[in-house]
Amino acid sequence: MELALSLGAPAEVYDVVIIGGGPAGLSAALYAARAKLRTLVVDKHPRAGALAMTELIANYPGVDEELSGAELLARFRRQAEKFGAEVVEAQVLATQLTSDPKQVITSEGTYQGRTIIIAAGALGRSGSIPGEKEFIGRGVSYCAACDAAFFQGKDVAVIGDSREMPDELELIVRFARRVYLLPRKRLDEEVRAQVTGHASVELLERAQVKRIVGEGAVTGVEVVDEGEAKVIPVAGVFVYLSGSRPTTDFLDGSVEITAQGCIAADPRTGATNQPGVFAVGDVTCNEVRQAVVAAGQGALAALAADKYLRRAKRMRQQWS
Amino acid sequence: MLMLIKEKDRAVIREMFEALVRPVKLVVFTQGPVHLPGERPCEYCEQVVQLAKELGELTDKLDVEIVNFHTDKERVKEYGIQRIPAIAVVGDVDYGIRYYGIPGGFEFATLLEAIIDVSRGSADLADETLEKLSRIDSPVHIQVFVTPTCPYCPSAVRLAHQFAMVNEHITADMVEAQEFPELSRRYGVYGVPRTVINEETHIEGAVPESIAVLYVLQAAGKLNETEAQQLAAISR
Ligand SMILES: Cc1cc2nc3c(=O)[nH]c(=O)nc-3n(C[C@H](O)[C@H](O)[C@H](O)COP(=O)(O)OP(=O)(O)OC[C@H]3O[C@@H](n4cnc5c(N)ncnc54)[C@H](O)[C@@H]3O)c2cc1C
Repeated sequence: MELALSLGAPAEVYDVVIIGGGPAGLSAALYAARAKLRTLVVDKHPRAGALAMTELIANYPGVDEELSGAELLARFRRQAEKFGAEVVEAQVLATQLTSDPKQVITSEGTYQGRTIIIAAGALGRSGSIPGEKEFIGRGVSYCAACDAAFFQGKDVAVIGDSREMPDELELIVRFARRVYLLPRKRLDEEVRAQVTGHASVELLERAQVKRIVGEGAVTGVEVVDEGEAKVIPVAGVFVYLSGSRPTTDFLDGSVEITAQGCIAADPRTGATNQPGVFAVGDVTCNEVRQAVVAAGQGALAALAADKYLRRAKRMRQQWS
Repeated sequence: MLMLIKEKDRAVIREMFEALVRPVKLVVFTQGPVHLPGERPCEYCEQVVQLAKELGELTDKLDVEIVNFHTDKERVKEYGIQRIPAIAVVGDVDYGIRYYGIPGGFEFATLLEAIIDVSRGSADLADETLEKLSRIDSPVHIQVFVTPTCPYCPSAVRLAHQFAMVNEHITADMVEAQEFPELSRRYGVYGVPRTVINEETHIEGAVPESIAVLYVLQAAGKLNETEAQQLAAISR
């Protein structure tokens, strides 16, 4: 047997670690890199953000051709990388924002930054299916790589259709006997072909999930299918949904969150109550959610981070 | 014999081990060459022994001792070993850092870090965490259930081991859930990381240091009022 061994993250410390690679995060990266700061962007997926999902962007100044949000984002990224920003694909799981350097714990290891810019957007959710929270770790899981093996030879349900679902499903089918796939909306043809390619996957596109049921551990998912309520008996439930709440689940409690669930940040600098930690874009509940606003805030936060690191009185202009 | 640690990684680890200060010993508990009747076959024992030996070759500050779990009762008792394969990472003193099952995949990094911490005799924790842990004066046993492919798990294991470093009453085990199915069943492990503290308290998933420490205090019955409220707010 081949034994995989991971050596962990290198101990290097970035000047700025940016969480999220949407317009806010990548603009911050561009400005930080141009200010000669060692800059890292941690983004869970290039297609997972709000801009990346926008079919056609018509109101981004200076872009007057027909361009998809994903293409615009690819340009943002190229430009930031050109000035030396690094981008890694990883999901941020937890943070330690009071230590120095601050720690960003991700699916690919831990990264360290002297400052942190949070730009994770507002497509998050919190366990909203009845029974979901109750059974976390008792059959409800969000990580196939971690937990799929516990369901060897058992039946499981997969709820949702977020970007990561198809890849996660690939792992789950290696272990589970039967997989009931319950997406929220109709799958696109490409995804459908991929998931139904597995003999063990049963796609239930019409069934509506009502609750996760169990006793001590998950025993089933209650659904309404063609007007009829029934319980599908399963031992595990993997959930891959996105929502419209600010993504703040990885914060360590040291950053102030408003009653609406947004990060409280100074609109002029992105500064939060935690020194060296900034927040920009949709995580801050801007009154207008627009790419150009998110990008502008990203630029300001990068310059504010630069000012913080230099212990300077003023932000520097980037008039090249 | 085929090496478990690749040549490229050996060079990186050698460099990491330059940070070693005082000698460290890996005490590896395994089965004997001959299987006794009724003995459960140990699927990963051989690999764990080999892994430890290969690490030992990368620095003269790391000793490896191989102990037969079935015959060397004295050593087994001394280190309180429950099952095999097991590794105790021991420095000037035994800080109570254990690995049950193979520290492969993502967990390998935590083994390297534990070796370095033990060698330095200190763990890099926030002052506030140290203050909180210093209040613990009765045994706390932390078991972190993991799988080698779980990217969220190392941070939970590392924290538990760091906690063990700084307080003599705390011991911390990594447990590879699939190698010990009975234990996993006993503690209701259906997902990882799952951290069990003194049987009753448990943590689902990876949580930051400032929160993990609250659960440890809870298990030890040492939460003050504010901390109890903080913890209640989190677990709501
Ligand atoms: C359907 C739709 C259409 C829209 N149309 C327009 C339009 O035409 N014009 C316009 O200006 N605006 C439009 N908007 C709004 C605009 O897309 C957002 O305001 C903007 O994208 C916000 O930028 P952001 O960088 O804050 O967040 P996002 O663009 O959402 O980016 C967030 C990033 O964070 C990453 N992330 C999240 N969680 C984690 C984690 N835990 N770890 C690592 N990375 C993480 C995601 O992968 C993502 O890349 C639209 C929005 C929607 C939903």
